[in-house]
Amino acid sequence: MDALLTKSKPAPAVGTTSDREPSQPVKKISGSQALLRSLVAENVTTLFGYPGGAIMPVYDALYDFKEQLNHILVRHEQGAVHAAQGYARVSGQVGVALATSGPGATNLITGLADALIDSTPIVCITGQVFAHLLGTDAFQETDVVNTTIPVTKWNVQVTEAKDIAPAVAKAFYIARTGRPGPVLIDITKNAQNELMDEFVYEPCEYIRTYRPKPLLSTSQINDAATLINQAKRPYLLAGQGVLLSGASKELIAFSEKTGIPVACTLLGLGCFPTDHPNYAGYLGMHGNYGANVNTNECDVLIGLGMRFDDRVTGNVTKYAKQAKIIHIDIDNAEINKIIKTDVAVHADAREALIALTERCEPKRHDDWRQSFSKLAAIEYEKVTRHEFHPTGELMMAEVINHLSVFTKGESIIVTDVGQHQMVTSRYYQFKNPRTNVTSGGAGTMGFALPAAMGAKMAMPHQQVVAVIGDGGFQMTIQELGTIMQYKIPVKIIILNNNFLGMVRQWQQLFHDKRYSFTEMQNPDFVKIAQAYGITARKVVQREDLQGALQEMLDATTSYFLEVVVGKEDNVFPMVPAGAGVGDVLLEAPKK
Amino acid sequence: MKQDFTMEVSSDNNFSVLNRIINILNRRRVRIKKLMAHENEDDFRRGGVIMLLHTTTDMAEKVKVQLEKLIEVEEVSYREGSSAYLELSERIVDVD
Repeated sequence: MDALLTKSKPAPAVGTTSDREPSQPVKKISGSQALLRSLVAENVTTLFGYPGGAIMPVYDALYDFKEQLNHILVRHEQGAVHAAQGYARVSGQVGVALATSGPGATNLITGLADALIDSTPIVCITGQVFAHLLGTDAFQETDVVNTTIPVTKWNVQVTEAKDIAPAVAKAFYIARTGRPGPVLIDITKNAQNELMDEFVYEPCEYIRTYRPKPLLSTSQINDAATLINQAKRPYLLAGQGVLLSGASKELIAFSEKTGIPVACTLLGLGCFPTDHPNYAGYLGMHGNYGANVNTNECDVLIGLGMRFDDRVTGNVTKYAKQAKIIHIDIDNAEINKIIKTDVAVHADAREALIALTERCEPKRHDDWRQSFSKLAAIEYEKVTRHEFHPTGELMMAEVINHLSVFTKGESIIVTDVGQHQMVTSRYYQFKNPRTNVTSGGAGTMGFALPAAMGAKMAMPHQQVVAVIGDGGFQMTIQELGTIMQYKIPVKIIILNNNFLGMVRQWQQLFHDKRYSFTEMQNPDFVKIAQAYGITARKVVQREDLQGALQEMLDATTSYFLEVVVGKEDNVFPMVPAGAGVGDVLLEAPKK
Repeated sequence: MKQDFTMEVSSDNNFSVLNRIINILNRRRVRIKKLMAHENEDDFRRGGVIMLLHTTTDMAEKVKVQLEKLIEVEEVSYREGSSAYLELSERIVDVD
């Protein structure tokens, strides 16, 4: 009945104060309407979701909010949360996903975990059974709050309509401030239905027990500047914190003044232009040779907005032992978590960079910077030259190299997880912030297709290209239906080697080539894409590659391009598991 | 070397806050020898936990800063040994 009462009402105006004028009769609104008004008040324009029993009152209210809220009906809740992540990563705005209780909510968990470890601001809203049924094993009841505690920055269950708007305000504040992260609001059905006399939306700007941004410590900055000024071979590792704090310009200014080479983590790619003379490369297990090797040659190592992930450090007992460590991060729990620091700077990356640039002396460090170029030349001769100009089967690297050249490194590139991800991170020449979207810490296969949808929804005028392997593509392949329904013009490249390529590579190198359940018999991907109404093409021959890529980029609609690549190609360089970053391999070890 | 630590956490007294605290310790596989959760006598919206942990100094510090990240947590402190646990828990029992 409650839903019927609200259905015929026009979408109400939104304000941050009470909508009720003293002279007017009381207009009751439902909790669901309060939720949607709150979202509009938070400047939400797009949400990704999937309806179900416990969230039906919200969906009913959505019927009247079509002008203000563009709801995208995904094909699986995991698609919704990854789309919200893609939306957030490229726009810097909070992404929003909507799901029902029970399996609808649990299907969000992978995306929540991904967003938590990759610091992505999203708010997920789940329906829940009636409050009086909580704990009774009611139909589609799952204890979502306790289930998602480990994978959210914060979560809350709301059982009364009056608490919905404050919960939304708090959720958005927590999601986007400090180190961003995912927040979940679980709303019981009675709260969605319940009628209230008035609606007041007050944005949250303070929480007593939460300090999102530390005050910059002058003494910490001075200590860091002293170390940097004394250094002969300083080296800066830039992580996603630079992007999140909007500090790319400040990082360039700092590097240019101090002459310090800058390498990027997987999630930091794009925060520093790859064509800048001070760019030192991409870090990590499959990162650039010089970027890894020189970690163990520098005398001062500056970790900026990064968390010394094990894919970056390799074996920590062999990591930068010769260097003094400066760690700058907004998250105090990251400092000294993995690598013991000599100077800890608990700060926002941008604020720290501005202060450091003031205090650091102009330097050039020409010889030190050239050492990176020399190592890059070795890598080019040993690895890259062949990968860009192979003679046999198509290689992933040449595909990405052409893509990078054709798009001038300026497209939004969304990758999944595996070999194609590492190759793209190595060879796509990112020029701009917030153009690299990938699943970093969680390594979530199936991330890219829905994340690309979300990215395109946020940035409709930018070219968005998803690069995916044949394994990960089939984990969320159903989202082709969403792309079809909403005519989302994303470009999709499948690098198909009919293998779970990265696992196969490890099996080859470290398990005596025992290919245990990694070879895949795949369907005709082109026919599948075409069945969804998406223009599709398959490339097997090298002479067709560049034309197909250009055709894909020129298309005004979604486009699917399958490229068949070598089945057993490996990604090098590689820091083997357990090895130090100085022990990076440029080719497979000879047995 | 592992030893006893008394850790005191003050927080808001919300549903699930105890789970959030315990989750941090579980993830780190920190042994909890004793635990007392309470709401404040003068304000039921606030409360806290007193725990006797058996772990290393390094882990106690890492757990402390991770607990401080929890939105509802106001303050975390710890001391070596178990005597503080007995003292703090007796104070809470006396109040009740």
